[in-house]
Amino acid sequence: MEETTGTDLFTVPIGPQHPALKEPSHFRITVDGEIVTGAVVRLGYAHRGIEKAAEARNWVRNLYLFERVCGICSHIHATAYALGVERLAGVEAPPRAQAIRVLVAELERIHSHLLWLGVAAHEAGFDTLFMYSWRDREAIMDVLEGLTGNRVNYSANLLGGVKCDVDDAQRDAILKALDVLEGRSHHYLDVVTTDALFLQRTRGIGRMTRNQAEVMGAVGPTARASGVPRDVRVDAPYAAYARYPVMRVVETAGDLEARFVVRLRELFESYRLIRYLLDNLPAGEIRGRMPRRVPQGETVSRVEAPRGELFYFLKSNGTDTPERVKVRTPTIYNLTSVVKLVVGHQLADVPMILAGIDPCFSCNDRTVQLEETNGRTRRWTWDQLHRYSLEVEHGRSL
Amino acid sequence: MAQNSNRLADTMNRVKTWARINSPWVIHFNTGSCNGCDIEILATLTPRYDLERFGVKLKGSPRHADVLLATGPVTAQARQRLIRVYEQMAEPKFVVAIGSCALSGGAFRGCYNVAGGIDQVIPVNAYIPGCPPRPEAIIDGVVKLLMSLARPEPALPEGHRDGVSNVEGRSEPQASAVERAPSPAPAEVLEAAR
Amino acid sequence: MMPTEKAIEIGRELAERWTFHLETRQPEPNRLDVLLASPDDLVPFAVALRVQRIGYLTAVTGLDPGPESGMLELLYHFCQGAAVVTLRLQVPRQGAVIPTLSMIIPSAESSEREIAEMFGVTFDGLRAAGHLYLPEEWPEATYPLRKDWCPPVPAGATTAES
Repeated sequence: MEETTGTDLFTVPIGPQHPALKEPSHFRITVDGEIVTGAVVRLGYAHRGIEKAAEARNWVRNLYLFERVCGICSHIHATAYALGVERLAGVEAPPRAQAIRVLVAELERIHSHLLWLGVAAHEAGFDTLFMYSWRDREAIMDVLEGLTGNRVNYSANLLGGVKCDVDDAQRDAILKALDVLEGRSHHYLDVVTTDALFLQRTRGIGRMTRNQAEVMGAVGPTARASGVPRDVRVDAPYAAYARYPVMRVVETAGDLEARFVVRLRELFESYRLIRYLLDNLPAGEIRGRMPRRVPQGETVSRVEAPRGELFYFLKSNGTDTPERVKVRTPTIYNLTSVVKLVVGHQLADVPMILAGIDPCFSCNDRTVQLEETNGRTRRWTWDQLHRYSLEVEHGRSL
Repeated sequence: MAQNSNRLADTMNRVKTWARINSPWVIHFNTGSCNGCDIEILATLTPRYDLERFGVKLKGSPRHADVLLATGPVTAQARQRLIRVYEQMAEPKFVVAIGSCALSGGAFRGCYNVAGGIDQVIPVNAYIPGCPPRPEAIIDGVVKLLMSLARPEPALPEGHRDGVSNVEGRSEPQASAVERAPSPAPAEVLEAAR
Repeated sequence: MMPTEKAIEIGRELAERWTFHLETRQPEPNRLDVLLASPDDLVPFAVALRVQRIGYLTAVTGLDPGPESGMLELLYHFCQGAAVVTLRLQVPRQGAVIPTLSMIIPSAESSEREIAEMFGVTFDGLRAAGHLYLPEEWPEATYPLRKDWCPPVPAGATTAES
């Protein structure tokens, strides 16, 4: 495999490649000129062997392990796990605890969507939007910190309930933050639907029809942007979502713009839900009793993470240590659907299309292996692909 | 002659170090973390924390970086790339391990596919604990590292003074290393980060 | 949107009146487990579920009951609303070859790649080759999620339980 530098675009800054060291790429993309003809996903960069590790740790320790599958949506992982273990144990967390789980989950959804907005804006070359949205996001980080004690990895969940309660001061702080954010969110929605430069990168790009989304198993906002009315909070309400229902936010265009619009509109749903929840918080305990040994059995726990459906399968062998915990994250399904989507698109559109599914991995370290039909291979860092994409876009708008 | 060229080299080193303290270029590398630390690092660049006002610039290429901010427990896939990134940085270079995973593997210590911390693979100069450490803690740690660069080298040759090198034999009273006040820019940095 | 009970009922009818006379269990009100008799049942039954518009393939779980059992178990979870219809298939530990679902259900591809590398099951017709999560240098015939494989403890590390 001959390693060449990029044509007249960029030289590879990652130094001399050692032929003996096979460097894993996250995507193997075949290109014919500028058109993508094929793409294969290869992950594993953040593979830590968590499912195996869970079989050697007790149910309580695992709560803290599964929180850390993803730092952005840590609470929803812990919630899915806790709900599953409680179901196996025949324990129902008290209503106030379930409500607080929903509260933190929606706050997490808000922070995650704002985070994504900034990252996607950066991919599109809108660094100002990145700065604004991350500054606004700090309001939610403050709220989460006030409520749970940490900005990230909140550890709000316990097996059997939650660790933190909501008092009047926190309630007021949350409501104040939401008021500010709601105004800002209207502004962002305006930008993504009316800014000409932004629309050039998003309208009509990366279109996935409803049929494609269903067939390829897309979930979450990615699926809802293509008209697939799939939302676990509505389809299979868990925790307190039966008490505090949420509406599915669906768009039909199925392109990148639709994916932006869905997530921004979801913010408004979350704001509404949180306000209603805080006005109708049931009194009572915030934790129930959990046995140390969980009875034998299997269960399925499905929740709606910010990125889509999160699936947990748990199996107990009657001891204090799980027999099996299987986690299927939303990103893997959305990734495989989008990877098929990029075929036929220009290479320059790939970063935005990928960003559109809100993939849950770090921005800096993905590499892309480009195989050209004439047999040459280039290996780019994500940064290179990103800059190439911006350059092409700049050329288009001239 | 040899002594003069020693002093000259030393001066040049101090100028370079000064430039680095005043405006270090950092590169960020994730070795398989859950992204918690990475988003807090990214947050330090946003308006509320604004690491850039201290002259810290986030660079994309290891070749131009002085400081490597590394997160994650080092998965097998990340290991070689981490080494490669480190090797491409020019001397002097410094490595900051950020977060529990980077320190020891964190929650993933003992998991297969995980080396168990950055210092299992490359030398580390500073450790910032937390899961994740908050942006202020990250800034504090990076600044502490920079401050440690301002201290004089131990065991200097005879006749050599701390701080300014004595070219042409001019002798000036020098404060001892302990009493000498830290250079203004880093102090300002510490104050602002408080 | 088909209600949960209806989805479960249709799933049960498909299984019990299907020519294969498959055994079903309902471990929870919203869950139906269908025990497939052989790998040949897999594709036709998955197609039948799709035709009845019961759900989408949400995940595929691999289970290892232990080396003494001589087998592995695959669970294909199809979700419709709150209903989860799970096809269960037992396969031998050595030399298991299962037809791929990825031709009719593209999202099955990533699940099958994962099970292949974690449990050592071969999926006949699966196009994408190579590891999905495991590193390139991972030793051959080493399946991390099998019960008879233990991760090597790194020097100086404390054990998981201490």
